[in-house]
Amino acid sequence: MLRVRPMRRLVIVLTLIAMSLLGFAAIPPHTVGASQRYQLQPQHVGGILHLVANSAGGTLDPQVNYIEQYWQLYQATYDSLVGFQKVGSTAQSTDIVPDLATSMPKLSHGDRTYTFTLRRGIRFSNGKAVTVNDVIATFQRLFKVLSPNAGLWYSDIVGGPACMKAPATCTLKGGVVVNSVTNSVVINLISPDSVFLDQLAEPFCSIIPADTPPTDQGDKPIPGTGPYMFKSYNPNSALILVRNPYFHIWNAVAQPNGYPSEIEETFGATAESEVTEVENGQADWMYDFPPADRLAEISTKYASEVHLNALGADWYVPMNMNIPPFNNLKARQAVNYAVNKFTTVTLYGGKELGVPTCTILPPDVPGRLNYCAYNSTNSSTYTGPNLAKAKALVKASGTYGEKVGVVAINDPVDESVGEYIQGVLNSIGYKATLKPLALNIMWPYVQNSNNKVQISVLQWYQDYPAGSDFLTVLLGCADFHKGSDSSPNVAGMCVPSIDKLEAQAAAEEMTNAAAANAMWGKIDKLVMTTEAPWVPLFNPVQVDFVSKRVGNYHFSLVFNMFVDQLWVK
Amino acid sequence: MSEEALPPVSHMATARDSESPWRSSLHQLRHNKAAMLALLVFVLMVVAFLLAPVYADNIAHENPFASNVQGLININGKLESVMQANTQGLGLGVTPIGPTWHFSTYFLGADNLGRDVFARLLYGGRVSLLIGASSAAMCCFVATMMGMIAGYFGGVIDWLMSRFFDLIWAFPIYLLAISLSVILLTSGIDLGFVRIGPGSLLLPILIIAAVFVPYVGRPIRGIVYSLKEREFIQAAIGSGASDWHILYKEIWPNVAPTVIVFFPLMFAFDILTESALSFLGVGVQAPQASLGTIIQDGLNLLYTRPWVAIAPGICIVICAGALNILGDGARDAFDPKAKLRGSI
Amino acid sequence: MPRFVIRRLISAAIVMWVISVLVFLIFFATPGVNPAARIAGRSATPQVLAQVSKEFGLNRPLPVRYWLMMFHLFLKQDLTSYVNIGDKVVPQIAAAAPVTLSLVFGGAVIWLVVGIFGGLVAAANRGRFIDPLIMFLGIAAVSVPAYWLGEVVNLFTQDRLHSSIFSWVPPDGYVSLTASPGEWALHLLFPWLTLAALYSGIYARVLRAELINNMNEDYIRTARAKGLSERRILLRHALRCSLITVVSLFGLDFGALIGGAALLTEVVFSIHGVGWLTYQSLLDLDLPVIMGCVMYGAFFVVAASAVVDILYAWLDPRVRVVT
Repeated sequence: MLRVRPMRRLVIVLTLIAMSLLGFAAIPPHTVGASQRYQLQPQHVGGILHLVANSAGGTLDPQVNYIEQYWQLYQATYDSLVGFQKVGSTAQSTDIVPDLATSMPKLSHGDRTYTFTLRRGIRFSNGKAVTVNDVIATFQRLFKVLSPNAGLWYSDIVGGPACMKAPATCTLKGGVVVNSVTNSVVINLISPDSVFLDQLAEPFCSIIPADTPPTDQGDKPIPGTGPYMFKSYNPNSALILVRNPYFHIWNAVAQPNGYPSEIEETFGATAESEVTEVENGQADWMYDFPPADRLAEISTKYASEVHLNALGADWYVPMNMNIPPFNNLKARQAVNYAVNKFTTVTLYGGKELGVPTCTILPPDVPGRLNYCAYNSTNSSTYTGPNLAKAKALVKASGTYGEKVGVVAINDPVDESVGEYIQGVLNSIGYKATLKPLALNIMWPYVQNSNNKVQISVLQWYQDYPAGSDFLTVLLGCADFHKGSDSSPNVAGMCVPSIDKLEAQAAAEEMTNAAAANAMWGKIDKLVMTTEAPWVPLFNPVQVDFVSKRVGNYHFSLVFNMFVDQLWVK
Repeated sequence: MSEEALPPVSHMATARDSESPWRSSLHQLRHNKAAMLALLVFVLMVVAFLLAPVYADNIAHENPFASNVQGLININGKLESVMQANTQGLGLGVTPIGPTWHFSTYFLGADNLGRDVFARLLYGGRVSLLIGASSAAMCCFVATMMGMIAGYFGGVIDWLMSRFFDLIWAFPIYLLAISLSVILLTSGIDLGFVRIGPGSLLLPILIIAAVFVPYVGRPIRGIVYSLKEREFIQAAIGSGASDWHILYKEIWPNVAPTVIVFFPLMFAFDILTESALSFLGVGVQAPQASLGTIIQDGLNLLYTRPWVAIAPGICIVICAGALNILGDGARDAFDPKAKLRGSI
Repeated sequence: MPRFVIRRLISAAIVMWVISVLVFLIFFATPGVNPAARIAGRSATPQVLAQVSKEFGLNRPLPVRYWLMMFHLFLKQDLTSYVNIGDKVVPQIAAAAPVTLSLVFGGAVIWLVVGIFGGLVAAANRGRFIDPLIMFLGIAAVSVPAYWLGEVVNLFTQDRLHSSIFSWVPPDGYVSLTASPGEWALHLLFPWLTLAALYSGIYARVLRAELINNMNEDYIRTARAKGLSERRILLRHALRCSLITVVSLFGLDFGALIGGAALLTEVVFSIHGVGWLTYQSLLDLDLPVIMGCVMYGAFFVVAASAVVDILYAWLDPRVRVVT
């Protein structure tokens, strides 16, 4: 019989109390099915969860880190005013629920003002209570610490632009107004923003103590409010999380309790080693994608330990619209006709792991239209390439025989896709070479227009499922920065009329979501048919390979697998 | 070294009178069974590699540089896919076809882009041997020059050369290789008389040659240094011969045997270094192949298609091994110390 | 002699300085290597990049930045990584050094024993079958790419034969000697064997060549004439002289390996030594760590070659040939 320690018993009791209270709360209907999940089953509580990754994920500071590896762990260690739902079906994982706020915000002043009330009684992992001062300090720190998306996502808060110019003295005066008596938090925006709540739910806005120094804390753990806390971090060996002794459940759909008593992520093994370790039970889960030559093995001998989930993501081939030969529309369309998306799926790991796509938006974005502009038949589903048409278009464009350099990341899958694209370009009349680069070099390199990258192989994973996260960020004028290492609009597309349509769709989102979604879908089709800046390849499937003893696997479309919900007992 | 390689005592007196030292060395080498066997094996490998286009065009009828992911091939009358999707379990993974052991079709199977490994192996061997031979030749030439000059002139020149050797030997070539590969991608390097583009083999040849210059240069310097004190050199200096005359006529013939020994050794090392450099993307560019790039491809298939990594590894072992045995035989035949030992 | 030593050490220091300058220049000459991008994190906006550049003084002239980096690395020892903010470089290397030392030390013991034994047997049986056999094995071992051998060893010990013959093999990784000597040795066993395989071939060949060279020296002939057995001559007289070459070669190899030359072996077996650290920092473009590792490695290579030179000058004023 399992003896439950007093602290754990308290947690379980509180959980039961919270559950019963929530049963009466006025929360959207989807909690009815969800209530089964946040009942911590005592027999599975405990144990050490051992994760493996090839390398560390950078800084531990949630306001600076922009890497999936740690964003996944922040779900268990930090909370924002609102959060993405953590309980329920995968489809519900993109719904936003109140987290440290008592309820969803009240909108006013033409949707420019968000009024929250901060919950009482919540404590950080260092024992200190969470107050509104911590909230305003967190928002100020976003600018002080030079958070990557400070300008893109948060400078529409009143006082934001001033903070961008002089980060050290950022006050966000008038932008974030708090009242410690009523515990109210009021955020004023310069103009309405339909995705502001999504951006609030991201780890950048994790509420942290006000006395956290305004510089990137690197490998020093920052106290948080989640069920786990970072105990130690050595980027050359391991990251260890233990239970947060001050955690209690306040809204289980936003932040349920976790199962393992400790989570350990070790670094440095090669991907091949990782697969072997998980197979042998020496590790419980590997962060990295399983190498191609192990996929068959794990999906047959260890099929019950493999979890597949479609991702809101694209593998795509952007073409630089500002330099030859792809400044010519016909050339871009030719490449779209020539690439066989099925081949790229095979190179990625087979048809179970990727769905060929002709659109910019992945299927999970609401309003996305299913069409295929460059196809071997008239079907709206992809049927194959049309080499004859491709060759004709190349000839007609006058770019026949030009030299093209294909840039790809130098890991095995990206490089083989790049090599394939090189072959395709050669077969339709170009003189193509392949330029593989290490990941950390490649990403800033392709963004900088000074490097004159003509065509490359990239991936984009959604931050939240919205048209703007793809179309505006990757193809809008505002995200094309000439000569900068940070210019996610790699294709260099800038078509003011399309930008205007995107602005209209964004504005529409506040009032009529359905109409706005339909607009995004139409814009997607318009972009591909009139500009063809990319060759969309496929939407990848996430592979999570867990060890035999692991149970209770759940997946979020925003943060992938819920790490702290895994059972190891 | 076997006994019969040494001429018996009774012949030595007459042999020395009528044959030049070079001729008798070659004679000795020719009678070294192991070395001759190694030479034969190496020549066979070279011929096989040179016949790569003949194989690809006339026997296999395929282009080993074009990806063939959707391809089908005919084995024993049956049509099989080159890339075989896994249909069991969850159906993940696509595995290239394994060795068919049919000489004319995918003898060693396919790689991850559906290309014929055996055909690429033959082409790859050509590239690796070319890189190995050129860089070994360049390395030996430069190292010998530097070693002779350093050892003979001594003083500041020696000091500079020795520091230069130290610098190269301690330098992180991986950093240089990564950096160069990125620079080449942007613009290529313009040396005035020659432009090194990204696909140029000149770059790996130069890097590999440079890396081993100290390895050859230091021993050569040591030899020349000790030779300088010998009587015959002192005599030549005393008789008023110029430095260059001495270097060419007196020093070089005594250094030559060592260089001859080093060359096959360096050839072998260079083939190996090329395979390590292709790990970092310097040199042989896709879709071209070298033994090193095929090993790289093969490491990603090690768990399902080990032959793709093993076959080029075996080629490297055979070529490098044969060259090393040849080098041993050359040293036994040409090394003056060995000759002066006699047969007692 | 003392003057020679001092001169040699000064030369070594100059070489190290030149290497540091070259590394620094190469790093910044590489396009796409903007340190601001490394520090600011992925996908930072241009304004953020500009701010980071300002804050970290990345707009200052190169010589100033070079001097600051060297100052922080050597004098204050608080140089921090670009990628893992706040992580000091020197403690990282200090933590990795004993790991590499463990790997190289064990591997060295094995390759010396195997190499010397192989060389002795080959030289003693010159002309008989076993001689070329040992030489061929040695050549085969030398001709195998390091990372290939490591991956193949892993393939058999961790995967294919793990459930049968190799079930006792622990997963890849390192356990420190102080934590558990048994586990330390067990985890390092196959890395030791892999590293030793690559070097024992060379040492067997070198020793054999030296032994054969020396077996025909005058003093050996005298010993033979006096009636000593071949074996005694080999072991007690020829071996001693032949070991000089082996020792000098060993000094150079050991020096290079301690400095991180066993990079590929460490990466394949997930042993977080200096070589592994160098490799990771190269991939991450983390200049401070790269600089630290390169200086560390260069120091040992340069020091080893200086020590060997000094040793030779002491033993043989004519400076013997090493081939």
